[in-house]
Amino acid sequence: MKIKLDKVMPQPLASIKHSDKSIWGNEIELSPQKKILLNASSGKGKSTFATTVFGLRDDYSGTITYDGRDIRTLNVDDWTEIRMNKLSVVFQDLQLFPKLSVRENLLLKNSLTDTYSEEELKQHLTMLEIEDKWEQKCGLLSMGQQQRVAIVRSLAQPFEWLIMDEPFSHLDEENTQRCLKLIDARANKINAGFVLTTLGDDHNFNFDQELNL
Amino acid sequence: MLNKLLFKNQDRKQLVIAIIGAFMGITFLITSIHYLIKVNEFGEGEDILGPNTIIVQKEVSNASTLGLSKTDFSLNEIEKMKANHFIKDVKPVLANNFDIFFKIDDPLVPPFSTVIFIQTVDPDFIELDEIDWNWKEGDEYVPMIMPRDFIVMLNTFMSANNIPQVSDDLAKDIKIVFELSNKDNSQKETVKVKIVGFTSEVSSLLVPESFMTYGNDKFSDGSKQKITQIMISGEESKFGLVEEMLKKRGLESKDSQMIVGRLKSMVGTLFLVVLGISIIAVFVSGLVLIQYMQLLMSRNAYEVRTLMRMGHHPKKIIRMFFVYFVKIFGIVASLGLVLFFIFKFFLDDMFSTGGLYIGTEITIGSIAALLIAYLLFAFASYRTATKGIFNEY
Repeated sequence: MKIKLDKVMPQPLASIKHSDKSIWGNEIELSPQKKILLNASSGKGKSTFATTVFGLRDDYSGTITYDGRDIRTLNVDDWTEIRMNKLSVVFQDLQLFPKLSVRENLLLKNSLTDTYSEEELKQHLTMLEIEDKWEQKCGLLSMGQQQRVAIVRSLAQPFEWLIMDEPFSHLDEENTQRCLKLIDARANKINAGFVLTTLGDDHNFNFDQELNL
Repeated sequence: MLNKLLFKNQDRKQLVIAIIGAFMGITFLITSIHYLIKVNEFGEGEDILGPNTIIVQKEVSNASTLGLSKTDFSLNEIEKMKANHFIKDVKPVLANNFDIFFKIDDPLVPPFSTVIFIQTVDPDFIELDEIDWNWKEGDEYVPMIMPRDFIVMLNTFMSANNIPQVSDDLAKDIKIVFELSNKDNSQKETVKVKIVGFTSEVSSLLVPESFMTYGNDKFSDGSKQKITQIMISGEESKFGLVEEMLKKRGLESKDSQMIVGRLKSMVGTLFLVVLGISIIAVFVSGLVLIQYMQLLMSRNAYEVRTLMRMGHHPKKIIRMFFVYFVKIFGIVASLGLVLFFIFKFFLDDMFSTGGLYIGTEITIGSIAALLIAYLLFAFASYRTATKGIFNEY
């Protein structure tokens, strides 16, 4: 799925002066299967990018298209299908269900498409060294542990794009590398691309493209 | 899991209050509708005249005996009575203006004959479902409704003659004739008569209006016929007003007719009040349940929003809330129905002990009321759930 931003300018950022290379106010294309780094300092609109491209915000000028179709024309059924099978996301605030266990959080997502078995989900947690948290309530986990759960949850569906908004902000370098490895392997396996927003660190990963704000 | 996420962590106090309210409201709703229908049905089918119908005449006073006041009704008086909102209809009861002789002409029954008095009432006042109440010149039989007192008298006569008494059904097969004649007996005609029904409310034999017109045209002496009795049909549960009017106008009726009407009117009003309270109770508790649904959706706003962002279809979440509340109302309605049956068991027994033999079968109206309440609640739940979920979209 090709995502195109045509002179998109979110209203809250309209008063800020953006560089010529910024994705805001310019024509940007996110080509399928690319691994993209979106690098910017705080307050430049990284979360705005994630939520706008994911269709949660409508307060912008310009046009965003998926495969040439203006996302403003998508209906409820279209969005449900896209969020279930084409576009996955890791929000900055993670959006887990704190009263449910890790297992329930993951299965609630996985049950939509039956992407993984419970065993495979456990293996993912093992790779990220939180397998012992399987039955623990998410609200009781540390932020770093919650970030890893949210990453595993985002992988538990088919997708063409994975948008991650500062997903490693509470992880040490070792865990970040484990997560990146898992994400990269999954993207390669299903021929998907991803966008990773960070505060400047590229985590020594070889990105196909780097965008600025 | 979705159920656990959306419905497990909730403060159920408000829900329990709404459930209790709905449960009581539903129980009283079904009970009051059921008994309202039963009370209104009371007396129906037992007599050929409608249950809210009475025959009245003016009270005979010393003045009327001396000819100082009238005992007949003018058309103006009838129209005035008809104008009252609690009166369905008023029609004159017509009597014969010629001589008529009743005669049993059956080899199985000992000969019996008497001069009688016949009357006719408007067909609108007669329960004609299973009766052919038409007559025209040349027809084999004249249909006739017989006063129940008459059959009692006939049975007493038969019993005295050592002949088996007859039931209503057998009485309908007795061969009877009317001998019509004018005052000087110069003109005579015999017609066959068939009993088609019985009444406790009229003391004379009732015949179709066409037969009365035929007899009056052919055998009367030409004198003007006076209306001394009228038939009044009152609105349901307003018999008290009818009674008040009768009193005010100096009219009288058979006591049995008045008692049934008065009783039905009182019990009907009582159940109407209970029905009104029940409707309010069901409405308010339904409203509290709907409000609780809104509260639950607003408390779960984050969960609902996140589920939709994860790819759960809004319709699926709407269905979750809708089914949850419709199930609750369904359970409440079922429990209400069970309690109604328990109430019914005791109330039927109480009515029967008190001499009110009302039918024990379930009324369709009470079940329909339950269904309507359920469907209205389901509709309101669906609309509320749809609105609430799409607010979070």
